[in-house]
Amino acid sequence: MYIYKGPQKAIGRELSESVRREPSKIMQCLRAPPDDLSILERQGACLLNWQQQDQEQPNYNPRGRGYCRQMQTSFQGLPSGCGGDKNANHGYVHGSIDCFSNGWPDLANIRYPVPGAATVEEASITNVSSNSSRKRKADKSPRSKENGGGGKGESSCKRIKEETGGGATSETGQPNKKEAASGDASKKNDKPPKTDCIHVRARRGQATDSHSLAERVRRERISQRMKYLQDLVPGCSKITGKAGMLDEIINYVQSLQRQVEFLSMKLATASPLMNINIDNIFGREVQINPSCKSGSTAMTGMSSELLDQSCLRFDSLQHPHPCAGLDMFMDSSDLVLRQNVNPPVAVPDASFGSSFDVNGCSVWSTNLQSLYGVDFQQGRGAALPF
Amino acid sequence: MQVTEAFKHAFLKQMLLGFQASAVSTKSMGFQERKNAIKLSADVAMAVARGSRKWTRGLIAGLSEERQNRSFLRLILGEQYESLLKPCHSSWKIPRCKKIVRRSLRVCWRKQKKNQSGVLARTLVEKRTQELKRLVPGGESMDGSSLLDETLDYVLSLRAQVDLMQSLLTTFEASKLRSHSKRRLPERKASYVSK
Repeated sequence: MYIYKGPQKAIGRELSESVRREPSKIMQCLRAPPDDLSILERQGACLLNWQQQDQEQPNYNPRGRGYCRQMQTSFQGLPSGCGGDKNANHGYVHGSIDCFSNGWPDLANIRYPVPGAATVEEASITNVSSNSSRKRKADKSPRSKENGGGGKGESSCKRIKEETGGGATSETGQPNKKEAASGDASKKNDKPPKTDCIHVRARRGQATDSHSLAERVRRERISQRMKYLQDLVPGCSKITGKAGMLDEIINYVQSLQRQVEFLSMKLATASPLMNINIDNIFGREVQINPSCKSGSTAMTGMSSELLDQSCLRFDSLQHPHPCAGLDMFMDSSDLVLRQNVNPPVAVPDASFGSSFDVNGCSVWSTNLQSLYGVDFQQGRGAALPF
Repeated sequence: MQVTEAFKHAFLKQMLLGFQASAVSTKSMGFQERKNAIKLSADVAMAVARGSRKWTRGLIAGLSEERQNRSFLRLILGEQYESLLKPCHSSWKIPRCKKIVRRSLRVCWRKQKKNQSGVLARTLVEKRTQELKRLVPGGESMDGSSLLDETLDYVLSLRAQVDLMQSLLTTFEASKLRSHSKRRLPERKASYVSK
């Protein structure tokens, strides 16, 4: 069943063990309402739902994404001689990944919609090999302080105690890996015990007082967030400094805010034609705020005003409503909502596909425009026999 | 990374409710007034759809500072409005223990003696952090890592807002086009019949 060879043994055993150990946490993470989940967890949950796997590992996936990128940057520093190792591992990795029964193998198939990310295969290779080295225990050092990750810039591990193992061949090129010296002992396959506190190992040649450790944890947290932001902001994959990144983020936020202003201006020019009858869209159940008494009387006054006022009457062949023009819009939006509640088979794929597009079109535009296309054609069709 | 479907739905719904509440389609409004009303309802819809986060609270607090917005906000939010306003103030500073601050400053100072070159980089980063704090609503009271968290969230929601408004716009324009073409049809019909 498993085509293990060497290092991959460690991965499989440890992963399956940690999955067995933390099912409650995993389910809890996924069941929490969206507002409570942090972006990392939600992202992990999204990825998992997308994959439609039974076994979930939100612990791994968000960091898995991070790993891909981190490994990309850290592996860029490797000498070219290690390329051979990567290729050599290729076959093994894929073979063993396919056989895993947990959610881990999907990393090989995930298309991360990140412009600057490594290719999927490369990411999976680097991911797995880096994990193998990290999960091996270096030696029987006291477990009070352990590093969150061997590579520079990796996030400090809060849930899994990871130890830096330097033994993997692909890491010998990294100059910072001083733990590589203890590589012989790193080939053991001990289980990482489950902990909830942050364990940080002091690296060789660095200060060990609590201040610098806490600072390092803080710095790693910040760098992890910067990496997520790097994915979000387009065109940031080449920028490596904090200051440059912040610059780009600031520019992006400013441009988005300006876009909102501009669009609201455009909507203002278009809005005299609007006659938005919310009751038709959402049914009578929707109230603005039933507890706000003064507001509701004002509301009913306003809505009757809207109904009474003369709107632009668009002739409609299908909907014999008095104010039919934006009934199209309202019905289409109603259809949008209905569609998304009971989606037909084709739609989820499209929406999922688009929702994982970083700069992709939103669900609204595809739905609204497609519905409009349909409507338009229907209107045309009905009007033809004249 | 994209926002969830539920967020998009809630956003759209809230925005349309907001349009109705502010009576945006009445012809009596001036252009500037209408634009402000649209922007206001878009921002409030974004905040409401997102839920309770530091930046949403900061955004609503910022919006409520102007008098004309307050009635709208009270309408939309109802009783939550009062509770939202109380705890979050943009000028709220993080309470810091003096001893710890002094100790960490000493450590920083010792490091600075060894590493002078980092000072320039640090000030650049600090300047930009200040700028970002100004941009993200409610950002003044956040520290480094939570600021980045909130920025991430805020950027996602802003993007969703832009998407929503763009699709609303295209929808309106499409319906306008169709109305024009349909109005032309009876004329054509008449000409055909007359032939």
